[in-house]
Amino acid sequence: MPAGPRPEDIPRIRIVLAIFRVSAIVTGIFLLGLCTMMVLRYGFHVDIEVGGSQGFVALQQPKLIEALNFSTFELITHGWLYVLYLGLDFLLWRMLRFSFGRFLWFALGGIIPFLSFYFEFKIPAYVNARLAEAEARTATRTEVAA
Amino acid sequence: MSVDTRPAVDDPVTFGRVARRPRWIAALILALALAAGFAWLGQWQLGRSIASAPSDGPDTERVAPLTSFATTNTSFRDDQLGRLASVDARLVPGDWVLLSDRLNGGTEGWWLVGHAVTSDGADLAVALGWAPTKAAARAAEATATIPTPLVGRYLPTEAPDMPSVEKGVQSASSVAAFINQWQDFSGTVYPGYLVSHAPPSGLDRIDSPKPIPPEALNWLNLFYAIEWAVFAGFAIYLWYRLVKDVVEHENEPEPSDSDQ
Repeated sequence: MPAGPRPEDIPRIRIVLAIFRVSAIVTGIFLLGLCTMMVLRYGFHVDIEVGGSQGFVALQQPKLIEALNFSTFELITHGWLYVLYLGLDFLLWRMLRFSFGRFLWFALGGIIPFLSFYFEFKIPAYVNARLAEAEARTATRTEVAA
Repeated sequence: MSVDTRPAVDDPVTFGRVARRPRWIAALILALALAAGFAWLGQWQLGRSIASAPSDGPDTERVAPLTSFATTNTSFRDDQLGRLASVDARLVPGDWVLLSDRLNGGTEGWWLVGHAVTSDGADLAVALGWAPTKAAARAAEATATIPTPLVGRYLPTEAPDMPSVEKGVQSASSVAAFINQWQDFSGTVYPGYLVSHAPPSGLDRIDSPKPIPPEALNWLNLFYAIEWAVFAGFAIYLWYRLVKDVVEHENEPEPSDSDQ
């Protein structure tokens, strides 16, 4: 049922794929930070303070933080990075025309820790295979036409 | 969508026909449920963005000893505003002040303000009660007492109002003004006054509502609320896109000769 990429989309797919790889790594790193922050906040009731009176990086009760609350910064940044990651996933889905289930599976990369690091090399491999198929199809057609 | 009435022989697959398949109706219901869920979350987040600005202040409605949070001869702090306080004190006979233009439930009337001395010797202004007329307020002076402990709401002093003082009328509950009117001032005074919850006979209880906590807009929650609205729209769009994919796929001839 998936239709595969259109030949004219191939250059654009390569650009999106390059951005997606970076996005997967950065989102994955922030997701690990998010997990750390959640454990600290809800397990130990402390947040990470940066540049406060307790030292450059210190664990502090959220209410007492006066400088940058790195935990909250991490929370917000991961949220927006994930929106970007989803956007790139969406573009790949539309242009490569793979199944909706695969789109949802790729979307989990920003939610399940470490999964995006796996995707970072697995998805380009998958995408390149689909592109190669599409290029092979185009080549055959051109030969037939010639 | 218009109903397709053409003969079923080589009719093209239209959006409406695919959308009416049970599978895609179920998908639409799912998408709408998702969108409703997201909208609800956005609504909740919007409520939080206004209401739940962090209020670290003390619970104003729990009665605490006045001496535990208020101090004498200093300025009045924000976190003391409107707190319910209890204090052991006695009234100084004869030290009465009548205040004009005091509203109680929308009606203008008079306050009887007494001079109390707390058990540790500090002076405290106590707004005892409200009466509709000056005469009624004055009449209550003779029998005015305060219970032990005295419970009331602690409010900051008001600025003295010079023009009315010149006319012999006083309307502001100003501790600074009271000090000059009291016959016997110890030199130690609370910077606020207490609105008594137990008016003496002949006076009404002064209406002193719970203070409204300062509201602040939480921008983070506001942006998340917008994000939820976008997600809700996107859930519907995804359904549309998936149906459209099926339409395109079924209308495509064999993939081998799909030249564009």
